[in-house]
Amino acid sequence: MSAPLLVVDNVTRTFGGVRALDGVSLEIREGEIVSIIGPNGAGKTTLFNIVSGVLRPTSGDVRFMDRSIVGWSPQRIAAAGIARTYQIARPFVRLSVLDNVAVGALTHERTLERARAAAREVLEMTGLAPYADRPASDLTITQRKRLEAARALALRPKLLLLDEVMAGLTPTEIDAMAVFIEQLRERGIAAIGGVEHVMRVVMKISHRIVVLDFGKTIADGTPAEIAADPRVGEAYFGTSLEEASAS
Amino acid sequence: MRRIGILVFCVVVALLIVIPPMANGYYRSLFYITLLYVALAYGWNVISGYAGYFSFGQVTFFGLGAYVTAIVVTKTPLPWEIGALLGGVVSAAFAVPLGYLMLRLRGPFFALGMLGLARTLQVAANSMGITGGGQGLFLPPGSNALSVYYWTLAIAVLAFAGTWLIDHSAFGLRLQALREDEQVAATLGVHVTTQKVYAFIISAAIPGLLGGGYAWYLTYVNPVSVFSTSIDLQAVAMTILGGIGTVWGPLIGGVLISQISEALAAQYPQAFLMIFGGLVVALLVFLPRGIAPACAAALSRRRARAKPAEART
Ligand SMILES: Nc1ncnc2c1ncn2[C@@H]1O[C@H](COP(=O)(O)OP(=O)(O)OP(=O)(O)O)[C@@H](O)[C@H]1O
Ligand SMILES: [Mg+2]
Repeated sequence: MSAPLLVVDNVTRTFGGVRALDGVSLEIREGEIVSIIGPNGAGKTTLFNIVSGVLRPTSGDVRFMDRSIVGWSPQRIAAAGIARTYQIARPFVRLSVLDNVAVGALTHERTLERARAAAREVLEMTGLAPYADRPASDLTITQRKRLEAARALALRPKLLLLDEVMAGLTPTEIDAMAVFIEQLRERGIAAIGGVEHVMRVVMKISHRIVVLDFGKTIADGTPAEIAADPRVGEAYFGTSLEEASAS
Repeated sequence: MRRIGILVFCVVVALLIVIPPMANGYYRSLFYITLLYVALAYGWNVISGYAGYFSFGQVTFFGLGAYVTAIVVTKTPLPWEIGALLGGVVSAAFAVPLGYLMLRLRGPFFALGMLGLARTLQVAANSMGITGGGQGLFLPPGSNALSVYYWTLAIAVLAFAGTWLIDHSAFGLRLQALREDEQVAATLGVHVTTQKVYAFIISAAIPGLLGGGYAWYLTYVNPVSVFSTSIDLQAVAMTILGGIGTVWGPLIGGVLISQISEALAAQYPQAFLMIFGGLVVALLVFLPRGIAPACAAALSRRRARAKPAEART
């Protein structure tokens, strides 16, 4: 097995008295798709904020390709190969859809023209090509979610952090997004998704599932292992995961 | 389309070169003041329009350039153009540490910080010996206003061309991205601090280069004349009216406002400011994003309507 791409090592993050993350450890390997599940306030977004350099951990270490990235600026982390999306889409509303994506491509393309060409490819892939020249403010909520993913992908990341990309989507859109995430693997991109309760999809596309609750990892394993873990389903979803995923 | 644009641009610049020597003093001054404000508006547009950091104190650099020039001219045998150039260099250099410091502030805090900075320099100029205190410094009279005019024309043309380049470059896209959302821009790989400081340097160098010409034109500098907030406010009003963060906005707004304010000031010297303010507000109510974006939108609507017609023929 290859060496881990990302290592989150005993990370704690507090906000005043709140322990948003409490000694969380996890590893992700190249091309692996890991879903982080957990109820509201479990700490999923905080974890992404720390890995992407938006927040610093109170204690603990984050290593990417064997180097500690704690204290790195977000742009340095982005250039190193970690891209993220935001749970609530944050498009550059006054820029065109194409330029929204071109910003990320500028990390590896020198000129604006080449960055836009690279951005066009990403738009084709994510189904946003027809909207390329429209201002991002014209996009619907669903399209904005897709734009989040497209922008992140334009960075050509090795690791993609997807913060609840499926929230608010219709079942058909969720399936499309699942296909998109599965394709990441073919491109050699690992992905971590903080995933809301779309268990049907989570069980299907994840290699591994990590369950967070109140900032602690309470389970980490294959979908089958997690489904069989009675603590997880009953304590945090009010039903067993097998039932939830069947619904 | 682009070739026509370049042609029009060259013709306009040629006219601006040949007309003023033939014009009388009044029109020469009007041409100069108009170009001065157009160039100041372009300077302001980079940091505030493209990068989104509203400054109410870029006049700091205008005053700095004016004083540097006045000191060079009165204390050395060097010509004023050297002083003005030095004023631009000093302003750009001063903008580096200042940018790192001030651009940590956001929104109204940055705007007020810059306003405070301009006041601070005004007070400093008022109380120091080398700047001549409240009296200021007097430059040799009988100056040739035409050289100031050409200097300002050159800077205005450079500022326009530079803005066009920024608007069509990776740098410009990065500035606009951080204007929209600094954190998202950073997580998409934009070095936000560096880009902001670059923009700030450009927005300091332009007024810095212009200040020296103004000192030579007025034949004196004092704290009130060159650190005046009203200079900033005019440049701000022009840019916003013309279209903030656009290539054409400062030109359209600058030309329009200087002509209107000139005409109003001549006709209604008492009520001038009131009418002027009312007019700007009224225009902004109807065109909240400014004239240039409104024209661009109208143009693209016409093209969209023309397209299906073309397809049929
Ligand atoms: N910037 C912040 N300042 C203060 N408290 C915060 C901050 N960010 C997160 N928290 C707190 O940390 C805890 C974990 O929040 P987080 O957003 O990471 O959870 P989450 O798992 O993403 O939840 P959700 O499903 O609602 O998105 C919550 O109690 C939250 O209120
Ligand atoms: Mg969250």
